[in-house]
Amino acid sequence: MSKVIEIKNVTKEFKVLNRREGLKGSLKDLFSRDYKIVRAVDDISMDIGQGEIVGYLGPNGAGKSTTIKMMTGVLEPTSGEILVNGNSPYKNRSRNAQEIGVVFGQRSQLWWALPLVESFKLLKDIYQISDKQYDGIMELYSSLVDIEPLLHKPVRQMSLGQRTLSDILAAFLHDPKIVFLDEPTIGLDVAMKAKIRTLIHALNKERNTTVILTTHDMGDVDALCRRIVIIDKGKMLYDNDIEHLKGFFGSYRTLKIRLDGDMKTNAETVQKELPQFSVDSDDEWISVLVDEDKEKVIDVLAGLQKKHNIRDMKLEEISTEEVIKKIYEEGVE
Amino acid sequence: MKLKKYLSFTRIGMMESLQFRLATVVIVIGNLLYLTIVFFLWKAIYASSGTDVVNGMTFSDTLIYLVLATALFNFMEMYTVWEMGRSIQSGKIVLDLLKPMDYRKLLFWSYSGSFVMNFFTTFLPTFIIVGIVTGGAIPLKLNLLYFVISVVLAIMINYSIDFIVGTICLFTESIWGINIMKQVIVLLLSGATIPIAFFPEPMKTIVLYMPFQSIYNAPLTLLLDGSPDMEDVLMILGTQLFWCVTMTVISKLFWKASLRQITVNGG
Repeated sequence: MSKVIEIKNVTKEFKVLNRREGLKGSLKDLFSRDYKIVRAVDDISMDIGQGEIVGYLGPNGAGKSTTIKMMTGVLEPTSGEILVNGNSPYKNRSRNAQEIGVVFGQRSQLWWALPLVESFKLLKDIYQISDKQYDGIMELYSSLVDIEPLLHKPVRQMSLGQRTLSDILAAFLHDPKIVFLDEPTIGLDVAMKAKIRTLIHALNKERNTTVILTTHDMGDVDALCRRIVIIDKGKMLYDNDIEHLKGFFGSYRTLKIRLDGDMKTNAETVQKELPQFSVDSDDEWISVLVDEDKEKVIDVLAGLQKKHNIRDMKLEEISTEEVIKKIYEEGVE
Repeated sequence: MKLKKYLSFTRIGMMESLQFRLATVVIVIGNLLYLTIVFFLWKAIYASSGTDVVNGMTFSDTLIYLVLATALFNFMEMYTVWEMGRSIQSGKIVLDLLKPMDYRKLLFWSYSGSFVMNFFTTFLPTFIIVGIVTGGAIPLKLNLLYFVISVVLAIMINYSIDFIVGTICLFTESIWGINIMKQVIVLLLSGATIPIAFFPEPMKTIVLYMPFQSIYNAPLTLLLDGSPDMEDVLMILGTQLFWCVTMTVISKLFWKASLRQITVNGG
């Protein structure tokens, strides 16, 4: 497997103005030279091979976007080296752009007012895609999704799901070697998420495109990625198989319940009843992190129901934040 | 083929501006209101001066000049600063930077479509109406050719100035004030709101040495003069060419330097 991305000891620092409080402080800030250095990415190294799907995880502000911006050539690393297809992305941004595709879940690269097909035609000219190649990819697209009704619909009339789908198709249009997907399933319903995951999976298989996926949704990761990289506060915490991580975490799920009476005392009693699991509470929910290898969620719930009056409950997959918290508390290896 | 890439932008721009038909109507109404004010304002100025010719221009000369300046403004103004500022603020600019194309060109060609459309929807109708109403006050000779060349140069100068101001938005991250300031300076010093002939002497000299007059004053002067000296024509076009090259180079260098700054220190 050939390497498409090589990252060696990359660090990125930003200069940020120290802001002062209040109106007086704001006025002083106008003339302030008082900067502090923020290290957004701290000594990260990894290699990514052709055709891999890598899940790039971390809480908000962990440095995910900064790393992606460096890989795409929008930002230049403060130190260290990045090679994408053997080239330095920020030195040859235009050349690098020809080889990559990008989807940001929050914004669209499509032309708002026009039918999708016009955006595709323009991208075809921008990336200088030959007619033959274009027809080929359109054929592939129509075999994967029901694209015909989308093509002639103005982008602004699309639902968020349709728009995201179209954006992903647009990013793969020029057959790039690498596609960066930044939270592609954000804000979508379950059915649409599944559809998008299937599409990404199929495109990766079909074209052997390397996919780098950032997300907060462990469902995305589960469905798509073999390999996971986790960063937090700019530092790399984990870079390994998803199986390894799963093995480590067992099969954790969060059971959330709502009981009558005071939250805090309730949480304390529940903790006493379930000493083997960690119990948390916020304003609305008491959450129990259940390891299903030890005890099934349904049994835990049944046990609780005997002693308490449960008004409401929900079940959540373990979130990225919890994964990171556990890595910090217990280590991975 | 290179050119095809750019013309594709023109095509999509034309289609995009056709989507907003109502906007054209609103612009025309706005113009009529503005021109009504201009008409009464200058009528009062001429009435109070007591003579028919002020600074070498009659009332109808001035009015034709200002009407055409407004029409020219509508078709040349690209709101580049807005667009750049907005995409910087929203972060959309990252997507544009990730196209295998120079950003400066990408933005220009994205707008070229609306030039073409605005030329047909606002400038040409105004031009024809003025021509008919004034009964041939606009000469239809070789001056039309000079005018076209001049307008092309003017568009490029205008774009470069806009692009420079837009680049400043990378640092300030605010658009409104900068854009308004730019608009006032350009419209005043280019002779779009007041013909340069009306400027006081020292200011006139200064203004003629600045790039702004090449945007509105130059093409309109060429358009309204039916039998100009060849020397004058070459002088005007030469000045425009000089500014076109200078401003293009400045805007390119400034953009390159700024982008480097941003990519080093973060946006």
